[in-house]
Amino acid sequence: MGAQPAGRAEIPQNNLGFISGSEKTYVVILRSEDLLQRNKVIEAILSLTSLRNSSQLLYLAAPRLLGGSIDAAIFKPYGIGLLLFDERRIDEAVPSQPSQRSEMNQQVAQSPDPSVVTELASLRSMYAEMERTIATLREDLKAFKQDSGTHMDPTEPSPPTHITRAEPMFANPNLPAGELPSFFANNPWLDVLSKRGRSGDELIAG
Amino acid sequence: MTAPNDYRSHYTFAMDFGTSDFKFGPITCGENPRIVNNRGYFPDKNSVMYKAFESTADIIVGEDVPLYLQSTEDLSSRLVYPMRNGMIEKGDDTAWRVVSALTNFSLNAFIPKPNNGFNGYYIVASLSSVSPRYMYERLLALFEQNNVSGLIKAVTVIPQPFAVAIGHGVTTCVVIESGHGNSQVCPISKYPIRAAQVALNRGGGDANAITSEILKDAGYGDLANEEAFVRKVKENIGLLPADLDTSINEAKKSPRRFRARYKVPGTRVEIDLEKDSWTRFLIGEYVFNPNHEIFKSYFGRGMPRPKDVKMGETTFSGMLDFGDAIVASVERCPVELQPMLYREVLLSGGNFSWTVPERLEDTAVDAPTKIKLLLRQKGIKNVSVKMTKSPQFSVWHGCIIYGFAVPENYEWDWQRLEGWMKFSG
Repeated sequence: MGAQPAGRAEIPQNNLGFISGSEKTYVVILRSEDLLQRNKVIEAILSLTSLRNSSQLLYLAAPRLLGGSIDAAIFKPYGIGLLLFDERRIDEAVPSQPSQRSEMNQQVAQSPDPSVVTELASLRSMYAEMERTIATLREDLKAFKQDSGTHMDPTEPSPPTHITRAEPMFANPNLPAGELPSFFANNPWLDVLSKRGRSGDELIAG
Repeated sequence: MTAPNDYRSHYTFAMDFGTSDFKFGPITCGENPRIVNNRGYFPDKNSVMYKAFESTADIIVGEDVPLYLQSTEDLSSRLVYPMRNGMIEKGDDTAWRVVSALTNFSLNAFIPKPNNGFNGYYIVASLSSVSPRYMYERLLALFEQNNVSGLIKAVTVIPQPFAVAIGHGVTTCVVIESGHGNSQVCPISKYPIRAAQVALNRGGGDANAITSEILKDAGYGDLANEEAFVRKVKENIGLLPADLDTSINEAKKSPRRFRARYKVPGTRVEIDLEKDSWTRFLIGEYVFNPNHEIFKSYFGRGMPRPKDVKMGETTFSGMLDFGDAIVASVERCPVELQPMLYREVLLSGGNFSWTVPERLEDTAVDAPTKIKLLLRQKGIKNVSVKMTKSPQFSVWHGCIIYGFAVPENYEWDWQRLEGWMKFSG
């Protein structure tokens, strides 16, 4: 039996949350098109920090393109897992470490804990590194688009690359009722095959 | 009450089990069927992705497969391409489970609305022409087992070259289907002439192999093991020579005109064969005819020579050139039929997509021209060779026409391997 989706109210929009028994897992998704928008990156980082105390397992899901440019080890000390995806697959590059929620809540409620301050500082450095990486990626993307001869407007989001599930559909998606596909036109096999089973229509020996 | 063909103009369904892709859909898809990889993934049930996506399925097929893929290491055991060589071993239950999941997936993708007169699809599935009888038995049994929801009214299985000929609209011809791992020559005269088939243990994968050797010799050994990259290089610099010796001499005389350069888009990686650009002609020649003296040096340095292998009841010849293969196949047919077969040779499959760059028309040729030249060397002159009209979907088109046209009372016969096997109605 798999995990259940968490309630929509519990997670920021367009991200994922799962509940398995008493364990909550949240995944903050940084999409390919987000790399072109600075605010989206900041939003992803802030989402991670805001969810830290309400989940046992916390993941950042980022395009594989990003994985090649940042040091994944930076996630480990903070227990944040890293999922890298592309059009073909999703890998768990860094496993998430379960957090001790109750202890952490108490500490945060009292006074700024040194470890929280350190974590914030580290998140800031993560953010700075991501910004640098994104700047490089922007340049690479621009060069790639120029190479392939297609113009890209950076203000327009790229088409979403996520995979959609096929819904069962009625078997009439393309052709108007009663029409046959064009490869039927003047095809001599229609006559040949319609005579299958009649005498005179014999298989060549061999 | 609707006429049979009126019913089948809505409910004929075709499935083409290619080596890499599975194309499927009802006649109402029009020109283009749906297409997914012919593969299945057996997920690791302990993975976070498996838990997250709540799947209870033991096997994942279709567009969802990439969502479950884990590390590269486990792909070899968990990601199964059941028909990589066009055939499934008799006892390979894992591969058959993938085929079963794909058939269910395809039918469930096209469930008609209720109360519209639907009482099951006429399904035509297509397999490689070298598929042994046990594959027909297993596939038909699998359809019967999967028909619990009554989506199947009748089913049949036809060989892919036969479907190509039907889709192309030629009733007497020789079809050469060349895939990644092997190639098949199959004469057709209203029926596939099964006893005259010739199979070759050579395909697009062999062109990749020699491209890799050429890259190593040119100093790109670090890139020569990346399969996808090697394939790109093959497609972009590989040429098919009219005559290998002449083409090599010309290329050595004018290296600038024949210079082979390829830059991978979006990267700094660039291949430049410079003075060795003549080797680009070896890539095409090797698939069509690996018997030239020049290839011996590659075999001597460790590149595997295409071997004769026996799979099922069929022997796949390693070194037979395409011309000899066509002649061998046609000469197994009645003499009076042979001229008609040579007059319509159809080429099908991505392995025949060779282009001729500008200014190299004197030395490079396309696949139909090369086949004509090979046949001319054997003394066969009155030949017409064509590419199929729709290389990717011609098998699916042929299956749809077959399913639409063959009378319902033409029952399945195990001797001729044709006809309808009915399950309901």
